[in-house]
Amino acid sequence: MNDLQWAPIGPPQPIPPPLPPARVDFSGDRSEFRKLVTEGAMLELVTFGFYRFWLVTDIRRHLWSNTAIDGDAVEYTGRAKELLIGFLFALAILVPIYLAYFLVGIEFERWQGFASTPLFISFYAFGQFAIFRARRYRLTRTVWRGVRCWMDGSGSAYSVRAMLWGLLVFLTLGLALPWREASLERYKMQHTHFGGLRGDFEADGWTFFKRGWWLWLLSPIALIIFPLAPFFYAQFKAREWRWWLDGIRIGGVSLSSNLPTNAFHGLYWKAIGWWLLLSVLFGLYVAGAAGLVAAAGVSIVGPDAIARSIPLLSMMVIGYFALALALNVVMRMYLQHDIWVTVLETLEVHNIAAAADVRGSGELASALGEGFADGLDVAGF
Amino acid sequence: MSDVSTEAPAQSAKRTVFFDGVSSRRRQVMLRLGDALEIGEEGGTPVRWAYADIRRADSPAGILRLACMSAPPLARLEIREVALAAEVTAHCPGLDEHQTTRRGVAKIVGWSVAAAVSIVCVVLFGVPLAADRLAPLVPKPVERRIGDAAEVQVKTIFGRSVCEDPAGKAAFTKLVNRLRDAAGLDDDTMTAGVLPTSVPNAFALPGGKVFVMKGLLDKAESPDELAGIPAHELGHLKHHDNMRGLIYNGGTSFLIGLLFGDVTGSSAVIFASRSVVEASYSREAETGADTFAIEIMHALGRSPKPAAELMFRITGREGGSGFTILASHPLTEDRLARMTKEDRPASGPPLLTDAEWQALKGICGSGKI
Repeated sequence: MNDLQWAPIGPPQPIPPPLPPARVDFSGDRSEFRKLVTEGAMLELVTFGFYRFWLVTDIRRHLWSNTAIDGDAVEYTGRAKELLIGFLFALAILVPIYLAYFLVGIEFERWQGFASTPLFISFYAFGQFAIFRARRYRLTRTVWRGVRCWMDGSGSAYSVRAMLWGLLVFLTLGLALPWREASLERYKMQHTHFGGLRGDFEADGWTFFKRGWWLWLLSPIALIIFPLAPFFYAQFKAREWRWWLDGIRIGGVSLSSNLPTNAFHGLYWKAIGWWLLLSVLFGLYVAGAAGLVAAAGVSIVGPDAIARSIPLLSMMVIGYFALALALNVVMRMYLQHDIWVTVLETLEVHNIAAAADVRGSGELASALGEGFADGLDVAGF
Repeated sequence: MSDVSTEAPAQSAKRTVFFDGVSSRRRQVMLRLGDALEIGEEGGTPVRWAYADIRRADSPAGILRLACMSAPPLARLEIREVALAAEVTAHCPGLDEHQTTRRGVAKIVGWSVAAAVSIVCVVLFGVPLAADRLAPLVPKPVERRIGDAAEVQVKTIFGRSVCEDPAGKAAFTKLVNRLRDAAGLDDDTMTAGVLPTSVPNAFALPGGKVFVMKGLLDKAESPDELAGIPAHELGHLKHHDNMRGLIYNGGTSFLIGLLFGDVTGSSAVIFASRSVVEASYSREAETGADTFAIEIMHALGRSPKPAAELMFRITGREGGSGFTILASHPLTEDRLARMTKEDRPASGPPLLTDAEWQALKGICGSGKI
């Protein structure tokens, strides 16, 4: 007991220097991920794509659970069955909408040729709604230290904003894009919560514009000299990522990233290289198959041409399957896994102590939004 | 000293990290493996997890992360020591019960294949059957509305309205009416016209609209050559091919598009196989319309052969170029062969007089298109 009294009562201690920012570490094994996506791609093809719900879930589980913020790994608690059910519900809602779209379209066409084109825009609006709700689903399945993230706000309000901003971007030939992204992200982040902490987005469109305006200016050049396009796109994505991460706030916690602007060049070029290589291989395969069929003396001309084309056709289908499978793996390796790792390496979390004792709250959201996004073929976060 | 000795049995109590699922506080706790897993925080009542309820949660390699079905759903216990992890694992019989096993994957594959087979069957047999049965049942007004919509579109594409030269129009109406009477089509709303475009083609729209394009008219050298083409289009109308095609195409692309929506890659294969199915389907329709055209021409006492010759002049030989399996029409040489077989000497009066034929040729004015 005496031991405790030895400390002298002197002048107040100087304020301790601010704690160094917390790191975000990724401990996943790349070859394990490769195995995961390779097997997944094969199963996806065997199941005519239905396996995608399980594969997407497994990919997220791998990426999330190997990402440790301040030493504690994140966890993804979503399950494939939720995605499947969400997709089926979305189908049940989309089917009548497609039919109504068809009938209304006919009436519009009667009135004026191609007058139904604007109706297509309504699907874009629906897609924006789906993006918002899909993000909500993913966030409510993201758990850190036993507390989940969650989102309020309204998907339709978001969709209206996205549409209006989209119109502005269209009218300004893309110049308004930074402000659109800032505004939409602010809406999303201000409705994002980690337990009792509320999120915010502090980056503004002007900063993003200053970082990327010359890319916008030079983009017509990339259309002419297309080998430049991947450089431009990689530059754009890197700047966008860094700007986005720098803006994120959750309660008193803030993020920052020193992602270099050339961080993605290699990744995009590797993906393109693989794509070219695989395309060439596929071309050789098709040529070889056609040669083989020709060498076997089967002519594809004549009265029973249909029956005779079947061997060649099925060989091409098999080759195409193989190509799709391989491309799938390449995309997921470089453009999902490697980008994730590259970005995380540059990430710093400031004032993580603000999240040390947060009360959990928030309800789970359904996977309907992901189902819509799937049914409408939209992607986004 | 006596305080220390009560905490001493290190075999049964181990330090580890616990998140209670209520707050994000990182709690240092002592584990005690009794008849249940006891998680005790200093100065608090221990939490008890029944071994049977404990499940493995996702974690990075080297960390055992546990959840419990009877605890708050997000409560997590994290064990980093290998020996302790092994000890706890040995106690929990249902640790990996919820994970997808190989059997689970096999089940997914089985159900997907079953679903795919059923969809393929619907596309191959169900939708054509539905299209065949439904197409004649579509009420005339609905058909006409769809036709109106299509007509507006066609006119938007080809810019101007139909050619209006009165004498040419009279000749064209006479020709179409003769074909129509022979066909036994009693549709009083049927309209026909010549579109001022150089594309050599003709088509029929739902609700009884037959259009011949100026390009075809220019290439035709006699009324018989031309007549076979609208006769063929009337065949499509008689057989409700438009509506059938609409229902069929709408149905298949809807099923395939929605269900296999974003399946990277395989949708292209499905698209390819679909176009094969569709092409053979529409080849059937075209052959049917040809049969119809032959019947009409015979009923009028004219030969169907000149029309096939006109088609052949326009398309040339088609066989040997690309995939004939994907062609939506029968090959022109096959059609020519068929119509030549049906060639008969003319027994009826000519379809148009020379004067009428000349008027028809000039329906769009003097040469300019």
